[in-house]
Amino acid sequence: MDPRTERLQHVTRRHFLQGMPVGLGAVALASLLDDGARAADQARPATDPMTPRPPHFAPKAKNVIYLHMSGAPPHLDLFDYKPELVKHSGEDCPAEFLEGRRFAFTTGTPKLLGTPRTYAPRGEAGIWMSDAVPRLHEVADEICLVKSMYTDQFNHAPAELLLFTGSPRQGRPSFGSWVTYGLGSESRDLPGFVVLISSGVQPSAGQGAWGSGFLPSVFQGVQCRSEGDPVLYVSDPPGMDRDLRRRSLDALHELNAMQAQELGHPETATRIAQYELAFRMQMSVPEVMDISRESPETIEAYGARPGAASFANNCLLARRLVEQGVRYVQLFDWGWDFHGTNPREDLRDGLTQKCATMDRPVAALIKDLKARGLLDETLVVWGGEFGRTPFREGRTAAGSILGRDHYPDCFAVFLAGGGARAGYCHGETDELGFSVVENPVHVHDLQATILHLLGFDHERLTFRFQGRDFRLTDVHGRVVPELLA
Amino acid sequence: MIVRILLGAIVSASAAALAAAAEDGGRVDFNRDIRPILSNKCLACHGPDEAERQADLRLDRARDATADRGGYAAVVPGDPDASELIYRVESEEELEVMPPSSFGKTVTPEEAALLRRWIEQGAEYAEHWAYVPPARPTPPEVSDPSWPTNPIDRFILVRLESEGLSPAPEADRAALIRRVSLDLTGLPPTPEEVDAFLADQSADAYESLVDRLLASRSYGEHMARLWLDLARYADSAGYADDPARTIWAYRDWVIDAFNANMPFDQFTIEQLAGDLLPEPTESQLVATAFHRNTMTNSEGGTDDEEFRNAAIVDRVNTTMTVWMGTSIACAQCHSHKYDPIPQTDYFRLFAILNTTADADRRDEAPTLPLYTDEQKAHKADWEREAAELRATLSTPTPELLEAQAEWERSFPAEPEPDSEAAKAPEAIREILKIAPEDRDKDQASKLTEYYLSITPLLKAERERLAELERKLTPYTTVPIMQEQPERDRRTTRIQRRGNFRDLGEEVPPGVPAAFHNLPDGAQPDRLGLARWLVCEENPLTSRVVANRCWEQIFGRGLVSTSEEFGSQGELPTHPELLDWLATELVRSGWDLKAFFRLLVTSSTYRQSSRVTPELLERDPDNRLLARGPRFRLSAEMIRDQALFVSGLLSPRMHGPPVNPPRPQTGLNAAFGSAIDKPTSTGQDRYRRALYTEWRRTNPYPSMTTFDAPNREVCTVRRDRTNTPLQALVTLNDPVFVEASQALARRMVREGGDSTEGRARRGVRLCLGREPSEKEVAALVSLFQDARSDFADASDAATRMATDPLGPLPEGMDAAELAAWTVVGNVLLNLDEMFLKR
Repeated sequence: MDPRTERLQHVTRRHFLQGMPVGLGAVALASLLDDGARAADQARPATDPMTPRPPHFAPKAKNVIYLHMSGAPPHLDLFDYKPELVKHSGEDCPAEFLEGRRFAFTTGTPKLLGTPRTYAPRGEAGIWMSDAVPRLHEVADEICLVKSMYTDQFNHAPAELLLFTGSPRQGRPSFGSWVTYGLGSESRDLPGFVVLISSGVQPSAGQGAWGSGFLPSVFQGVQCRSEGDPVLYVSDPPGMDRDLRRRSLDALHELNAMQAQELGHPETATRIAQYELAFRMQMSVPEVMDISRESPETIEAYGARPGAASFANNCLLARRLVEQGVRYVQLFDWGWDFHGTNPREDLRDGLTQKCATMDRPVAALIKDLKARGLLDETLVVWGGEFGRTPFREGRTAAGSILGRDHYPDCFAVFLAGGGARAGYCHGETDELGFSVVENPVHVHDLQATILHLLGFDHERLTFRFQGRDFRLTDVHGRVVPELLA
Repeated sequence: MIVRILLGAIVSASAAALAAAAEDGGRVDFNRDIRPILSNKCLACHGPDEAERQADLRLDRARDATADRGGYAAVVPGDPDASELIYRVESEEELEVMPPSSFGKTVTPEEAALLRRWIEQGAEYAEHWAYVPPARPTPPEVSDPSWPTNPIDRFILVRLESEGLSPAPEADRAALIRRVSLDLTGLPPTPEEVDAFLADQSADAYESLVDRLLASRSYGEHMARLWLDLARYADSAGYADDPARTIWAYRDWVIDAFNANMPFDQFTIEQLAGDLLPEPTESQLVATAFHRNTMTNSEGGTDDEEFRNAAIVDRVNTTMTVWMGTSIACAQCHSHKYDPIPQTDYFRLFAILNTTADADRRDEAPTLPLYTDEQKAHKADWEREAAELRATLSTPTPELLEAQAEWERSFPAEPEPDSEAAKAPEAIREILKIAPEDRDKDQASKLTEYYLSITPLLKAERERLAELERKLTPYTTVPIMQEQPERDRRTTRIQRRGNFRDLGEEVPPGVPAAFHNLPDGAQPDRLGLARWLVCEENPLTSRVVANRCWEQIFGRGLVSTSEEFGSQGELPTHPELLDWLATELVRSGWDLKAFFRLLVTSSTYRQSSRVTPELLERDPDNRLLARGPRFRLSAEMIRDQALFVSGLLSPRMHGPPVNPPRPQTGLNAAFGSAIDKPTSTGQDRYRRALYTEWRRTNPYPSMTTFDAPNREVCTVRRDRTNTPLQALVTLNDPVFVEASQALARRMVREGGDSTEGRARRGVRLCLGREPSEKEVAALVSLFQDARSDFADASDAATRMATDPLGPLPEGMDAAELAAWTVVGNVLLNLDEMFLKR
């Protein structure tokens, strides 16, 4: 630091702390005498809602990286192998599966569609996966695959809301908000709940997927971006350098301290501390978002490219953020809605190409976390908001592109690390993939299980709003013990 | 719960202070002491919800709790030791203790002692306080009659005296004018307004000030903001693609209704049922857009009926929350667990709201087109003329047919590109290739039709018609409520577990049976419902509205859970004051301006907000009001204030939403178009935040950061957080940087030639008060420091002073203005700026 700045800081801080009412000064002191060092053990403002706090019982996972494939990936072509369906491919869908049901884009009698992919057991554990995700084969023994997921919603926005907020309607707090509300965050100079979006489109649920609902808004997800400011307004205005910003903040604090002395209001001290945190974020956010600081080998392993906006970059960023103590990192990747309305949504080449942007960074992330000793305490979750039909989608059935419609009764997700049972496959669907026949797991059960891994009893992580204690799992959900290591 | 405790600063604290009152061994009060225990610990399984009821035991009603259960009873009045309830809550046996450990909550020893004493004293039940209509109390006598200005102060002072506290002295005048200006208009006073007020020696100077503020147009804009949170107003339809929705005429209606001081009962009736009034005016129809602010889902493949139902559910919940402070939402799926609202009652209300014509349609039908006065004056003439022109333009006269034949003959076989002939559609050219005598009738008439649409002979008529059509286009439209025609009106059935496909018995429209009946002569329709909400017998509406106004001015409601007055809500800190205010509001004829005048002219309101460490410890949330209110401004006020003090704020009212600068996202909405929109230009860049386009899935970022909701659902109470992201907005958001630049120019322009004078002007513009010498010195020192930095960095200086505001004014120096911009940026970030003092 420039000696003049250092002197200025020293003088102004001492000057103004002397003038502070007792108590106020002590709070401000702890925060202000920290020269931007990342020291998690330092006192935070007493009222900082992000102060780390223990959950209900000893947790397995401390952090979450949630990889959401917006649009709902075709689980029958990735993880749930149905040889009988292949055998009957092209036949009329039996009426029993259609009676009394509505599908988003299919009416009449559709044709069954066996997967065009090839399947084999992968890893020591012998988890069946298709050839669309070759890199994930390498981490088969790390993952806990759930093939018996189901949900209540068959449109994207309500299904994503149900998955991330526990309710298909807007207005409830999101997963990351609940987690940071419950645990706070270890990172003092980064947001506790970070959202990263790739492939250029917001998830269907919109910002509701990372909103704080009726929880205090400090718990909403902060979107970090690869273009423009990495966090909104983190850059100083054009023409102002760091040194001048520092001095202007010192002047601001000095003026605020005069007021605090006159009026004795403790919120002033909190505000001063928050401005100091903002000042540190201005340094730490661009730093953590700059993946060019990684080794060429790491960048290569993820298939990331500094300066680009991609899911691969976001996976690498997720690891960097978790490493810095960020509690919950939520990734959204658009482009998984495989209806077959265009070649990108074809279950053959289209899926191969889309998966190539996904499986390499996901596998790299799991390996990288493991190599750094972070996988034990970091829970990685991969999945979509529902599944896809075992038959061809109605609108595109006459064409040459193979696609599937939305399907809420069966889908697949996987967990890795964070106390999830590695190399394990849970649940079964019937021979044609129309319904779960063994160990069904509802999205509320998945939520309860993830919260359990974080040390929470999902029925006790509540917030009172409009006279009722609300929770992520609404009035449902049960922990699935088989998924725990 | 630990998390709650840590969040104490932002989440309302418990009513510990109140509970303490019961520990003196005196009379146990059912509503104050016992109901919260039963409601929180017992009623989930032993309450009104028959589906969840365990052991066929109900504890919310005396006759059930005391009923003989075969030799014993849960509650035996006068005999706690014989009461099973006491035995169970005091038991240490895992299999006997209530609530069971799986419930996650226990009855504390203090609570058990209260239950014991309550039974000892006779186990008297009382109706929940908020369900008993308020009786007008007499304001109490106080020991210091010189302090109260109006009855509010008597209630406050009596409580302070009983707590051994005394009120704070009156705030200084500069603080007072800023406080009351912000509270009534959302904007700070100008230095000139402050000077005028300070100089006004008349006895009623403050009252005149209040009257001036209540009469200003900004009053309606500020009040509208709060109402629009309740109305979940937004300029987009919600859900996945969140398309734009044109409904701003409703927002303008709300502003105008507040400015006209429409009585709140009328305000209620017009919004809920304006269309059902006899011969409704256009304005009364616009008002009904209140309930058209529900979301519409136009994602491909969605079931319109499902989302129409979701909208009706929202309307039921919003109506009960806004007017009656009752979260009835639970009863959509099952009978309410704490309040006497069975599921049937929920669907009675649902049935009232279930018969409007709207049905989750993409086009938001039915909508009302709105015309200007000029359009209305000429509409009939224009329409007649347009009809005549249309007739002329479609009638082939012999003269025209001859011209057509000529045109056909001269039509080229291969038209030159860009020629008139090349514009003819493919189909017409195909017909032209057929010899006239071989064309069938359809082809011939198509050709004539086409010719008439291009013939130069009718050019003037065509142009006139186009002009008329433009003139006849409404300047906007607004979705409205409209009843379905009687013959195909929907019937309502109970939806089992809230599932709109799993239907039970048919339910006729009506109001919940636990409350008063519909007023005489009222039908069970929306109009009847609206009248029921504001009728004298309604125990809740007047209290809920009075409490919300109080919360707006004092920072927290007398009932701190302003959204919940049922059993699960907090008890009022000053129950008699609340009832007095509620009855006063009704007595005045629901006159809101008079009501706000009452609040802000009280001595309670006018107190200094200065606080001692002792008082802070005693009453951190200022529930007792031994000091004046001091809390953070809303998101809208923070933006408006920065633009106002820098001179940028546009005074323009009303009209379509605007898009002030916001960061580009580079993203598309799911299944929708690009999220980014062009930034508004001219004055529209600087309008009050109320006019900023409100997109539900992409709210304006700085508003979200300062706790504005996304308006997907009704929001009664916003948080007031204090976060680092807020600091980044007011330090670095180009909107605030631009305001700093404009403020800098203003300080230089209006502050005289001295550096001190300019610094002083800046403080007066921003805070409405004179700065202390120390404050001036700190600002001057920052200015000089920054000035010397910028002296040898001309590029940085220019950017600091002009990006994004624009070129330097003639004769002004870049380094000088850049340094003042740094000072302006500090002023706009002062703690005092974010709070009313």
